[in-house]
Amino acid sequence: MFAYIIRRALYAIPIMLGTTFLLFLLYNFVGGDPALVKAGKHATAETIATIRMEMGLDQPWYWQYWDLLKQVVQFDFGRSWATNLKITDMVAEGAGTSFSLTFPAFVLSTSFSLLLGIFVAVKRGTWIDKGMVTIAVGAQSISVLVYILAGQYFLAYKFGWFPISGYEPGLLERWSYFALPWLIWLFLAVAPEMRFYRTIFLDELYQDYVRTAKSKGLDSKTILFKHVLRNALIPILTNLVISLPFLILGSLLLESFFGIPGLGGLIVKAIGNEDRPVIYALTVVGTIAYVIFNLISDILYAVVDPRVQLK
Amino acid sequence: MFMNHHFKQTVLFFNKTLLCFTVAIFLGACTGGKSEKGVLRLPMGVDAKTLDPQLVDDLYSFESTSLIYEGLLEYEYLKRPHELKPLLAAEMPTVSDDGLKYTFKIKKGVMFQDSPHFPGGKGRELKAQDFVYTFHRVADPKLNSGGFWIFDGKIKGLNAWRDANKDKAVVDYSKTSEGFKALDDYTLEINLTTKYPQLLYVLAMSYTQIVPHEIVEKLGQDFANNPVGTGPYVLDSWSREAKITYNKNPNYHGTYFPTEAEIGDDPSLLADKGKKLPFMDRIELHIFIESQPMWLNFMAGNLDRASIPKDNFASVIDPETNKLKKEFVDNGVTLDVSASPDVTYYAFNMVDPFIKKAGPKFRQAISLAIDEEERIKIFSNGRGIPAHTPVPPSIPGYDKDYVNPYQAYDVEKAKKLLAEAGFPGGKGAPRLEYEIGKSTDARQMAEDLKRKLAAIGLDVKINVNQFSELLTKINDRKAMMWGIAWGADYPDAENFLQLLYGPNATPGPNGANFQNAEYDKLFEAMRFTYDSPERRETIRKMKDIFVKEMPWIPGIHRIGFGLSHKWLKNYKPGYMGGNVAKFLRVDEEVRAKGVKK
Repeated sequence: MFAYIIRRALYAIPIMLGTTFLLFLLYNFVGGDPALVKAGKHATAETIATIRMEMGLDQPWYWQYWDLLKQVVQFDFGRSWATNLKITDMVAEGAGTSFSLTFPAFVLSTSFSLLLGIFVAVKRGTWIDKGMVTIAVGAQSISVLVYILAGQYFLAYKFGWFPISGYEPGLLERWSYFALPWLIWLFLAVAPEMRFYRTIFLDELYQDYVRTAKSKGLDSKTILFKHVLRNALIPILTNLVISLPFLILGSLLLESFFGIPGLGGLIVKAIGNEDRPVIYALTVVGTIAYVIFNLISDILYAVVDPRVQLK
Repeated sequence: MFMNHHFKQTVLFFNKTLLCFTVAIFLGACTGGKSEKGVLRLPMGVDAKTLDPQLVDDLYSFESTSLIYEGLLEYEYLKRPHELKPLLAAEMPTVSDDGLKYTFKIKKGVMFQDSPHFPGGKGRELKAQDFVYTFHRVADPKLNSGGFWIFDGKIKGLNAWRDANKDKAVVDYSKTSEGFKALDDYTLEINLTTKYPQLLYVLAMSYTQIVPHEIVEKLGQDFANNPVGTGPYVLDSWSREAKITYNKNPNYHGTYFPTEAEIGDDPSLLADKGKKLPFMDRIELHIFIESQPMWLNFMAGNLDRASIPKDNFASVIDPETNKLKKEFVDNGVTLDVSASPDVTYYAFNMVDPFIKKAGPKFRQAISLAIDEEERIKIFSNGRGIPAHTPVPPSIPGYDKDYVNPYQAYDVEKAKKLLAEAGFPGGKGAPRLEYEIGKSTDARQMAEDLKRKLAAIGLDVKINVNQFSELLTKINDRKAMMWGIAWGADYPDAENFLQLLYGPNATPGPNGANFQNAEYDKLFEAMRFTYDSPERRETIRKMKDIFVKEMPWIPGIHRIGFGLSHKWLKNYKPGYMGGNVAKFLRVDEEVRAKGVKK
């Protein structure tokens, strides 16, 4: 397994090279001159030239790319062009905030969806199943924005059950501001996830081994929780682990509407400001997270399914 | 067995998380109200980029830094048109007969805010040497302040000092220019190379707010996050993209609420006359990316002021009267309306081969094809007035009776002019490339422009750009026509008329690259003079050239609409300073009742 992990880690190198190079090409050969934005409305040729030098934009493109690669290896992206803050601090702070918003909501929605998924799969074809699936399809067809706007208006403003928006940096203080975004996340996530898990369980419930177990006289609880759930774990794990990088990168809409300073907002702002060092840093973080969680997902396959061997 | 156990664990975990969630919801419900006293809560649409005053380049950063830092002068809070008054200066300066030497007496006993970066954590007294340091910092070639233009070529020896330090590893502040001299601890002398009446205005801008040199040197680039000034408020916390909070500076030297208002002002504006500022113990600037949470927070009483979101405008303002609707008036909400000192415009690149060849009649025809009144109604909810020239209202040199004959909607006349320009029905004219920024509003307005120009036979291609792309096209002189705006740096027509001054062509602020010898001569004659009938006459002549040549089509002067709750006292719209919060007071009793209601 160790050799497998090393090999997979090495795969990250071409992935990282490819991602950063594409991004670099996009910004260097398609976009405008960011020095003009920084130079302000009274720019002179002299200030623009100095800013270009400071940003390293006066160097040939291959040196600029080399500098970027060095930054990736050292995991130090310098300072933001827009705010002059250390990017590692900005990313660490934003990732922590985003994760503290998204992770509890993710755990909660996953637990709910899994239980509901099993429940409706077992009740397949009954009015419960049909009713739940109908509600889920209906819930899914409503725009995310409607949940947010309506939740904020009714639950926070009209009924006063939650703060309308806001954020406190302290770990304990921030929870009250997260309650409504969590609730909205739950509404958003449960419908599609329940349907996904229902499909997975239904696939398993009609396998030969279930019929065999039934014919051997095993009770349905044992079949469901000892055999079916175990076999369904691989697609479930894939779904869960692949979602994790997105938890770090945050939820743009929830963060924007609830005033939560996570990575979602940081990404959009960096793109808007053409703050290239921040964009590069966030892309690298996203790529690393994707590679790592993919690897974790593969390792977990081997843990939950003895037929899978990592070579 | 394992799976049963696993399932039980799952259920247990689920119950626990559900419990946590319920507790969180309960906590959420419990902390919904905002009942702290002495706190002023204001919204901001965008977070500050920096709290280093010499690096401030945008309105939001200006407002955020101006609570912490101060300059020599500030604007009179209640006077319109704007007048300056001393802030860190003990009095207004004496000016030499030739207008080249300004001498300021500095207020004694002004202390920098306490900071762990000062020895013993205690702030020291502000001295004239701090002004010399700060003003040189604006010209520091390593800092790259966007504000160097305020001193560029106007201060004796400053450009030479900047050039001498360009190639040094560390900028040498021990040798300074003769332009800024500390005659003693409380006397500052400024020596100019040319008459520069706008100097007083720039001494009220963020670029000239005073910083303590030892902390700047100690913290380097992190100084922007650890501000230390002499202002009424001390930075408490800055949660990026969420909020900036300030506490009252216990060692503030003290400024006082004005004792005079203007004729026509609400008499209640003088209820606090002569009282020591600031009034509030704490200021919170809440940053809202989306307008709905800002609006709901205002409606719930969690914010003391708000702008009116575009989507809510119709429900707040009566379209017939342009006044606040009754339900808001009944709840004690007040509306304030003020002309913004700005202008939006459609610029032509005057060195573009076609635009150059097409001539002024072509541009005048386009101007007549655009219905600015209609655009104000559709895109600005009526919040604007058509601009006839670059100079906006509230600025000396604005003339409400000056009529630009092409600031009108007249399709027939537009067609006639287009034919006279040699393009009857648009024939012979290439497709016009119109550059815009990347926003929904810009796109909608560009589509309207395209439709209007199609009515006179001109075809328009809309190019949507990232901001840097747009600036690059303008800077490289590759854009043909684009939409843009300019906001006043200070209340002087010179600040707007310089946008068409030949030597300011790109990369300077004359993006249109307009060159007209007569205009330049008139500009040079008026730029460094004080407001007078002669100066206004010169400005009028410049406006005539502008209308004749039409290097831009003036769009609108925007009008700001703001709302305040009845408990917010002392707000007067249209103030150009960034430190408005120090004048504001909240009537806590009224707020307590109002929030409950």
